[in-house]
Amino acid sequence: MGRSQEQGEGQGPIHSIRLSTVGAARPTETGTTHEPTGLDLAMKLHYLKAAYIYSPETARDLTVRHMKESMFMLFDQIAWTTGRFSRRDSGRPYIKCNDCGTRFVEGQCNLTVEEWLSQPDRSVDEFLVYHQPIGPELAISPLIYVQLTRFKCGGLGLGLSWANIIGDSFSLFYAFNFWTKAITGETIHAPIPSKGDRGFQSPNPTVKDPVSVKRIDPVGDLWVTPNNKKMATYCFNLSVADQISPHFPANGDNSIPVFEIIAGIIWKCVAKVRAEPEPVTVTIIKKDPNDLKPNNAIRNSQVISSVQVDFPVAEATVEELVRSIGEAKDERFGIEEIGGSCDGNLDFVVYGAKLTFVDLSGEDLYGARVMGKSPHSVYFNVEGVGEEGLVVVYAAAKSEERVVTVTLPEEEMEMVKLEFKKCGMIAP
Amino acid sequence: MPQAPMPELTSSVKLKYVKLGYQYLVNHFLSFLLIPIMAIGAVELLRMGPEEILNVWNSLEFDLVQVLCTSFFVIFISTVYFMSKPRTIYLVDYSCYKPPVTCRVPFATFMEHSRLILKDKPKSVEFQMRILERSGLGEETSLPPAIHYIPPTPTMDAARSEAQLVIFTAMDDLFKKTGLKPKDVDILIVNCSLFSPTPSLSAMVINKYKLRSNIKSVNLSGMGCSAGLISVDLARDLLQVHPNSNAIIVSTEIITPNYYQGNERAMLLPNCLFRMGAAAILMSNRRSDRWRAKYKLSHLVRTHRGSDDKSFYCVYEQEDKEGHVGINLSKDLMAIAGEALKANITTIGPLVLPASEQLLFLLSLIGRKIFNPKLKPYIPDFKLAFEHFCIHAGGRAVIDELQKNLQLSGEHVEASRMTLHRFGNTSSSSLWYELSYIESKGRMRRGDRVWQIAFGSGFKCNSAVWKCNRTIKTPKDGPWSDCIDRYPVFIPEVVKL
Repeated sequence: MGRSQEQGEGQGPIHSIRLSTVGAARPTETGTTHEPTGLDLAMKLHYLKAAYIYSPETARDLTVRHMKESMFMLFDQIAWTTGRFSRRDSGRPYIKCNDCGTRFVEGQCNLTVEEWLSQPDRSVDEFLVYHQPIGPELAISPLIYVQLTRFKCGGLGLGLSWANIIGDSFSLFYAFNFWTKAITGETIHAPIPSKGDRGFQSPNPTVKDPVSVKRIDPVGDLWVTPNNKKMATYCFNLSVADQISPHFPANGDNSIPVFEIIAGIIWKCVAKVRAEPEPVTVTIIKKDPNDLKPNNAIRNSQVISSVQVDFPVAEATVEELVRSIGEAKDERFGIEEIGGSCDGNLDFVVYGAKLTFVDLSGEDLYGARVMGKSPHSVYFNVEGVGEEGLVVVYAAAKSEERVVTVTLPEEEMEMVKLEFKKCGMIAP
Repeated sequence: MPQAPMPELTSSVKLKYVKLGYQYLVNHFLSFLLIPIMAIGAVELLRMGPEEILNVWNSLEFDLVQVLCTSFFVIFISTVYFMSKPRTIYLVDYSCYKPPVTCRVPFATFMEHSRLILKDKPKSVEFQMRILERSGLGEETSLPPAIHYIPPTPTMDAARSEAQLVIFTAMDDLFKKTGLKPKDVDILIVNCSLFSPTPSLSAMVINKYKLRSNIKSVNLSGMGCSAGLISVDLARDLLQVHPNSNAIIVSTEIITPNYYQGNERAMLLPNCLFRMGAAAILMSNRRSDRWRAKYKLSHLVRTHRGSDDKSFYCVYEQEDKEGHVGINLSKDLMAIAGEALKANITTIGPLVLPASEQLLFLLSLIGRKIFNPKLKPYIPDFKLAFEHFCIHAGGRAVIDELQKNLQLSGEHVEASRMTLHRFGNTSSSSLWYELSYIESKGRMRRGDRVWQIAFGSGFKCNSAVWKCNRTIKTPKDGPWSDCIDRYPVFIPEVVKL
């Protein structure tokens, strides 16, 4: 049972929603601005959503006031993310660093953490992340939403909705970890460097027309991906040993490229459903292994690369697909150029322009410890996905498992799930 | 052309010396009279020689009874004098509440909340923006946690929490600073105009700190922004009656229950200006506090213009058409404040002004009444009477108006303007933030005189005059400790939002 993507007021099982604002402790100098890069601007219609659930033992004594105070410490480091977008005379968007703040949402849930986690489709966690797009009035649209959901047993759900234009998923996790350290009361020695060099080294400076990005008609000031089809989400766990290894010939050294295999299998399944035309081009998004210093600044540095095959996907073997994925071409340079062209007035879709696979499996999501305890469950997805669909792979609570969140057009979802069942990815 | 400005310069310098000479002459008139008399007496004595002096002494024929009666008479008169002299009232120390950074409300946040809450009334939002741009407030003023919600959630619980937060923090700090034990508090006065729960805020303080059962506690409510000085007046009167006692005054305004939820423009104004704040003050009449007290209370003058209808209605709490309660500020507020100030000055002038200014004022008064009614009235120069001024930070207009009326320089009103910028209008406690500013700048020396002026609904104008008892070292803690180096700041006429 996928969950349809819709802009959210608190709905379904979350009630007693209260909105307030948190910001930075120290005032920013008047007139400070933050200029998005071309790559930032290309991502503007997408929003990253992460939900962390903590057990009652960890979270029972955490008050709203304490959580807000620690948020202030976080935003002291990245005060520019509490600003608001505005446009220059040329139309190019920029952030006015006016300390306006981010929206803090409090909600209650009548279920216990156990009851909540008992649902096999983890996309219910979408309810834990309050989301509103940027626009139609840029000046009063926060870039980040934080939701604090109190479960009946005292457990806590922390949901973060983060506009991709300010930073990629790795930046989001870094900021969240910073917040959990502040909540735990650890003295934070290294502040988040946010004004560092935001460039990246790309081995392919000559790619001119990136295929991983699709230009769309202008959306004006309401930054929402226009889709003709309604999208649905499905989230499930995979065991590496039982469900992934069998698809790949065993290597002598016992290391298999788990993400690439998952991507290959799902690519095949989608190709079988989406017969005409087959998705021969996909986008792969990963962390940049050569991330320039300063490390972990809040910015868009994820590698966006494209894979194109010239053989029919549905009949190909997983090995062939894995090999092709390994030869993906980094298109960031081209995206940077095209994103910043026409003074940032063009609008693009990246996630879902082609079938997109995001690799977050290297991220230590369960290292976001509050009071020394890891979260019970972590969920991640992207809002504003294009019609070709998105697959996100990330770590599960158990190290021998992975979590996969799939966002596809509603009409395709049931058939794709059937394909998953056929190849053993999900239980029949 | 160096010639032209020179005559003006020399004439203005000459005028300055003439003024100075006149002031010295009139203010030290008695000394000037006494010196020649003493000189003549000394010359006479020297001329007479010691034997003649002894002869004059013996001829007086002093008798034991006469000597005893005279000395008893002198002792009696001096005893009556010392007994009937009013006790000196000391301000031992005070403490101002510094809001946590989590309560900070930058302009952008305030306007965004306003846009979201009043989304059907763009004109009201526009009005609030214009007020905020010209208000003189800065980006660090604070509102209580309940008001940070969209829409605000002003429950009674939230109001009580705000009261507990601000009052207890200020009092804890005061107890620590002065080393006073809660059991030693004799008089407690709490003033908070718009929040008056049962049991009262003073009862809440007594409950928290376990104060004595025979404490004299008073809770003043409804008396507006001038209630701080009314509390000081009350404390003074009580300390005259009770020997060897101390008094704690808590001045605050609780914002939570009074945030206007409607959209009438005149009633949205207080939302833009009023901010969270509190002050706790320790006063005493004990001789032992003489050495450590910061200030002595010289005068306190209260003026009430309530008998005039226009003054009475100019700050009026009422319901709007939709039933929301708010405070309506009339358009002639400034004019009424000016009148109230004039009335207050007329009373306080003779108490504080030096003889030179009083003489000039008298002469100009006689001149206007008898000779020429069109003569401009002489405004006494209050800068000669006081070193420091604390004008209630009610709003930029109030400070501008008073600066103009009293002919004060920018430095004199700096404490008021900077308090308005950093803390907003904290109602009755703003005078104490201003005093703390002056101390934090290291400007308070022994013997300096301070004039605190407060305005309040009614319409009231109250003044207090303090004399600094000992030079005050720049405090290490206090509401200004982390930002005093940034002040004074330049506050533009209109802030671009």
